[in-house]
Amino acid sequence: MVEVKTAELMASVLSKHLEDGEVAIMGAFSGIPMLASRLAQMTHAPNLSYITGGSGAVNPLLEPLPASSCDDRLLKAECVLPLSDVIDFEARTEIDIFFAGGLQIDERGNCNLIGIGRPGEIKFRGPGSVGLPFLSRARRFAVYAMNHSARTFVQKVDFVSGPGFVDGKDFPGGGPSLVVTPICVMDFDEERMRLKSVHPGVSVDDVVQNTGFELRTPDDVPQTGLPTEEELELMREIDPLGVARNSL
Amino acid sequence: MRRLYLILSEGRLMARTEKVLNAKETVERFMKDGCFVAIGGMHMHNNTMALIREVIRQKVGIGRLITSPSGSVNADMLIGAGLVDELYCAYVGMEHLGLAPNFRKFAESGKLKVRECDEAFVTYTLRAGASSMPFIPLPRGLEATSVPSMNEDDYRWTSDPFGGEKVACLPALQPDVALVHCQKADEYGNAIFEGSKFNDFLMIKASDKVILQVEEVVPHEYMLENAMRVDVPAFLVDAVVNTPFGCHPTSSHRYYRYDEDHLKEYLKACKEDFDAYLEKYVRGPKDNEEYLEVIGGREKAKELMEGGVPW
Repeated sequence: MVEVKTAELMASVLSKHLEDGEVAIMGAFSGIPMLASRLAQMTHAPNLSYITGGSGAVNPLLEPLPASSCDDRLLKAECVLPLSDVIDFEARTEIDIFFAGGLQIDERGNCNLIGIGRPGEIKFRGPGSVGLPFLSRARRFAVYAMNHSARTFVQKVDFVSGPGFVDGKDFPGGGPSLVVTPICVMDFDEERMRLKSVHPGVSVDDVVQNTGFELRTPDDVPQTGLPTEEELELMREIDPLGVARNSL
Repeated sequence: MRRLYLILSEGRLMARTEKVLNAKETVERFMKDGCFVAIGGMHMHNNTMALIREVIRQKVGIGRLITSPSGSVNADMLIGAGLVDELYCAYVGMEHLGLAPNFRKFAESGKLKVRECDEAFVTYTLRAGASSMPFIPLPRGLEATSVPSMNEDDYRWTSDPFGGEKVACLPALQPDVALVHCQKADEYGNAIFEGSKFNDFLMIKASDKVILQVEEVVPHEYMLENAMRVDVPAFLVDAVVNTPFGCHPTSSHRYYRYDEDHLKEYLKACKEDFDAYLEKYVRGPKDNEEYLEVIGGREKAKELMEGGVPW
């Protein structure tokens, strides 16, 4: 059996989180969500539609998966829309699942791409919020993190780019449903992040030590299920260049 | 066919105006110090780099800059050259290659005024600008972030005149000049996006002056034969700048790929000696043809066009 790369493990977990008939969307630097979406279409969700952000491409035939979310290789698709139309779908609550990330992610699923610091005193400037404010209007969202440390997973984000669970919220979005990192999978319990499974070779204590808030941890935490041989083969077909596979 | 446009009017011979200009005269004519500039393309694709390099050569100060919405080396280079006072920031970064170093440095030091925003802001404000709405309210939820409190100049509140609820609003922005890349245009400015359209047509509609940087100027007859595919009508366009390979180091959709090695060299230069980069690649070459020689000429171009697009 071929070695399973962490990025492939993450893509396979995210793939299983996508349901047949849903509409998914992703933004910049989305190799893993792209791989997950295409894999879902080829396994259990033939009616999944997915939009690769700024390119405006609907259901691109990824193979070979490109590194940039706006690459012209994505235009080998079913339909290519101007970005302003994609924005309309995001606003109209037609998106079932939004893929999100952040410089910081907190225990309630808030994501921050603005920076680290305080208003007027940003010590580390992030790229900007881009599409994350639309998390407030997606039916649910999944977070994929390219690293798992106490600096990324914090008690409270310094700035909110994409809102997670918010007390007394006044918007239609359903909030975060799943968080996948290079070491574990987390879901939410009473609107707080909870450990769901740990990847092979990772202990619960490793996760707790690398999380900057008190992570809800059930007594029994299973190991994350590995992708099947068939899933791995499909992922290598979708991503022959290893763009997503080697992105961690 | 061309004769249709050459007519006698009150005894004078009238010809339709051709708008093909070079980058130097275009920037001189249309970009004034302190102007409000919109730049098209997304991430490392369809950036109007030949025009950006010319703006840097002429040291045109930019009062406000807006990207469409994801800025890349286009915004970062202008910022690094010290030309940008204020930036509407939805995103400036290099996607899988990392953060945008000049943007980070200038924002962190306070030399750049950041008007915090997001992709919805860019889209809605240009939509409002394009149709002269007085302002535009936001769908609920977009205000539930830190963004409005960080940018009180551009996010204001009113009550919904129908339901009475409090809503966040944006101004209708109309940039002075838009710099947009289309792959094809004719000599009058009718133009075609051969790949993704991004938000670029919205940007064109909202802006006062429109400069198109194109890969090729095609005969007007081509547009007449392909009218259903023409994205931009000539009357919106003020100048057509014909610069093959002018998007380098970014891609031009369906023409050539982005130059990842050059982008990495750029990122490295930002950390080491950015002025040396500007001297070698921007101020040194007097135009895009000389620039192409510096980056490796025909061989480099061939390399970026190879690999083929899979259709």
